[in-house]
Amino acid sequence: MFQDRRLGLLLLAPATVFILVGFLLPVVILLSGAFKTDAGWHFQNFTEFFSQSLNREVFWRTFRLGLWVTGVSALVGYGVALTIVDASATQRGRLVAALVLPLMISPVARTYAWVVILGRTGIVNGFLTSTGILDSPARILFTETAVFIGLVQLFFPLMVLPLISALENLPRDVVPAARMLGANWFQVFWKVILPLTREGLVVGGTLVFVGSLTAYVTPAILGGSKVLMLETLLYQRVSVANDFASAAVIAVILILMAVLTNVVLKRIASTGKGGAK
Amino acid sequence: MRLSGQILLAAVLVFLIGPFVLICVAGLSAGETLAFPPQGLSLRWVARVFEVESFRTTFAISITLGIGATLLALLIGVPAAYALDRYNPPGAGLIRNILSTPIIVPGIIVGLSLLRYLVIPMGIGILPALFIGHTALLIPYAVRIVSGSLTNLRVDIEEAAVMLGASRMQAFFKVVMPNIRNGIMAAFIIGFITSFNQVPVSLFLTGPGVSTLPIDMMAYMEFNYDPSIAALSGLLALMSLAIVLLAEKLLGLSRYV
Repeated sequence: MFQDRRLGLLLLAPATVFILVGFLLPVVILLSGAFKTDAGWHFQNFTEFFSQSLNREVFWRTFRLGLWVTGVSALVGYGVALTIVDASATQRGRLVAALVLPLMISPVARTYAWVVILGRTGIVNGFLTSTGILDSPARILFTETAVFIGLVQLFFPLMVLPLISALENLPRDVVPAARMLGANWFQVFWKVILPLTREGLVVGGTLVFVGSLTAYVTPAILGGSKVLMLETLLYQRVSVANDFASAAVIAVILILMAVLTNVVLKRIASTGKGGAK
Repeated sequence: MRLSGQILLAAVLVFLIGPFVLICVAGLSAGETLAFPPQGLSLRWVARVFEVESFRTTFAISITLGIGATLLALLIGVPAAYALDRYNPPGAGLIRNILSTPIIVPGIIVGLSLLRYLVIPMGIGILPALFIGHTALLIPYAVRIVSGSLTNLRVDIEEAAVMLGASRMQAFFKVVMPNIRNGIMAAFIIGFITSFNQVPVSLFLTGPGVSTLPIDMMAYMEFNYDPSIAALSGLLALMSLAIVLLAEKLLGLSRYV
């Protein structure tokens, strides 16, 4: 640790000033717009926003899809992570690389692949109509299911990767020990693995849940205007109606949900540690 | 590995990676509309991608933006990471939090804020605003990854250099930099890919003539149902694959993600 604190501040200044002026200030002004009307400061914009049934529907859909995507990712993620941790070191490296790789590919390309699969002339409909199960193609695109599938594919690696590192840190003999003492697999998972890997689950859960809440590309391509989520609603309000009050309200909601998720999940993780002793 | 685990793993890998294979095949279609299985194979839609004027211009903008924003983020992010790690200045915790705020704020809000409060009232152009938005987004990544490399580098090596007569400047460039070079390169690659693939931040910051490739793709697919987007998606996936494999070989990129 060096003593010259002034030099330290000097080195920090460019990045800090850049973020404050070029980022935080405009964002804070925008967010403050949610609490402001011509009549002064209050919550009228919020009550107005939630008084419309479409907005309420979009809010709950976003929340619901976020929970589903996170829950399914966690469930499948544990299965996948446990299998990968079991593999040999070289295999493990390859499998982790296969999980990281999709994260590096454009979400637009990743999401568009589902149009090829789920669209009217896509694989699923091609199969269903050619085998005679359906007479005419079913509408799968622009449904909540399509958005759900797209979001799971997009965010699943963000759940598995922290789970893998959590499981790697699990002492090697705790699972055999629990088995030897008579626990069945469900008990081993619930009483040993889950409490000891809670922190990985919390990291992954936060990334996936917040990622799903604030997703834009997936609902835009796979949901369209029929299955709006909060971000696509925000875009629509601004670009179609110049409705900046609603946009600011949605912005506040999104950030609040993101921050709350972080705080709540972190708390769960730390209380869990005490309980698992 | 137990059999059930292996089956699950295989299914998940097909779910994660299979769509890329399919989109590549769909992009090689000879037919007029997007369909799977494709109506014959040809390279016509791959060739078409290079003929669409807007794809060419927005590709150039995305590349320039990705490189420029990442370089600026590193230029101001590396000194910040260094100062936070080595100097522990007053208010370090607060500054660390300020520097990571761009991760918490959804991109679409960043874009809209910059449009309303920088572009419109201050007359800043769309392109500089895109540049500012992307740089702000990348600073947290740059700081985090470089901080990681710095923490792994022992301070005494640097102290020794100073004791042997090097100035702080020399010690940084001759001792610290070579040791955190891999971290900086990893941060550059991850930053570039993040910027290149970025949609929400750019969404409100595009206008006539100025757009990024992903935004242009989304606009194109709204009105066209031909296989060119599939072909372009396949090309982009292959480009990312090449970058990542190269980086993995040279740096061990997955350690930094």
